[in-house]
Amino acid sequence: MSSSLSALLSATFYEPDYEHLVELVHQRDPEARRRLLSLDLSVFGADGKLLLEHPVDTRDETLDLGALLAHTARQHGRVMAVFDARYDAGVFPYRPHHYAYVHRKGSATPALYYAVSAALGGVPDRIGDMSRLNNFDAYVFRRGPHAARYSVMLGNLGRFASAEAQVFAYYGAERVERTIALGPRAHAEVALAPEHGGQLLTRVETKSLFRLAGYVVGRREPSGELVLFDHLFTFFK
Amino acid sequence: MTTGAGPEPQDALILCYCTMLTVGEFRRACAAGRWPLPGKENTGKLCTGCLGDVLYCLERFETPTRAPLSATS
Repeated sequence: MSSSLSALLSATFYEPDYEHLVELVHQRDPEARRRLLSLDLSVFGADGKLLLEHPVDTRDETLDLGALLAHTARQHGRVMAVFDARYDAGVFPYRPHHYAYVHRKGSATPALYYAVSAALGGVPDRIGDMSRLNNFDAYVFRRGPHAARYSVMLGNLGRFASAEAQVFAYYGAERVERTIALGPRAHAEVALAPEHGGQLLTRVETKSLFRLAGYVVGRREPSGELVLFDHLFTFFK
Repeated sequence: MTTGAGPEPQDALILCYCTMLTVGEFRRACAAGRWPLPGKENTGKLCTGCLGDVLYCLERFETPTRAPLSATS
């Protein structure tokens, strides 16, 4: 094993009837020197069951998740797509982020562009002392005109360990807590009430013993179309 | 986080994606009482994503090296 070999495990969620294109390497250089050494895709149902494995050609610029997963997702509903990348730390000074476009087929709403949630790796040991906790995440809502209901999607990328995640929704000074149990590779969408005690949802936080893959989600009513799909932000010490 | 009687981790699997520690390296170090290995001290502490799996493996691999603490010790 090369001493410069590094690894990154990232995950996103795929739902049926969406175009979902993943940039394998964000801002790849024209000479394509910044290429992953390998990338494997694996796909899991909500209960953590492995549904599909697929080696990805790292010469490709993008991966069409819809082409790969539409059939599986129609059978199983939302699935978690896990990207297991190997890369040369000398080529990627920090980590090879994956970014993605998601767009409901036939919708006039513009595509959403987001950074794929990285849960394992990408924090090289050379950084040494960590200056932040990254298993406590938060998102502050800027209420826009489109989203009518909100949620967080959480996925446990643990191979063996189950996880408990606490989801805190804030409504002014009020806080509503919910605890979610996730088995290995299991995932869930946790609905957030848009209003509580006459106060609007202002912030959500997620906490767990170890880092989970997580997104904050906004949907239009009554179609359920995604109008917000973004990773949460890490607390800083 | 729970461990329980789950699957046996395979040695080739990368356990910690930050320190590139494999399950096999971790298993052998625990069996020899040499954990943490030099250079792998930050396992589970950086991105934290593998921490649950590290604890799961530790519970399976750890060899008791000392007598349990008593209430009077």
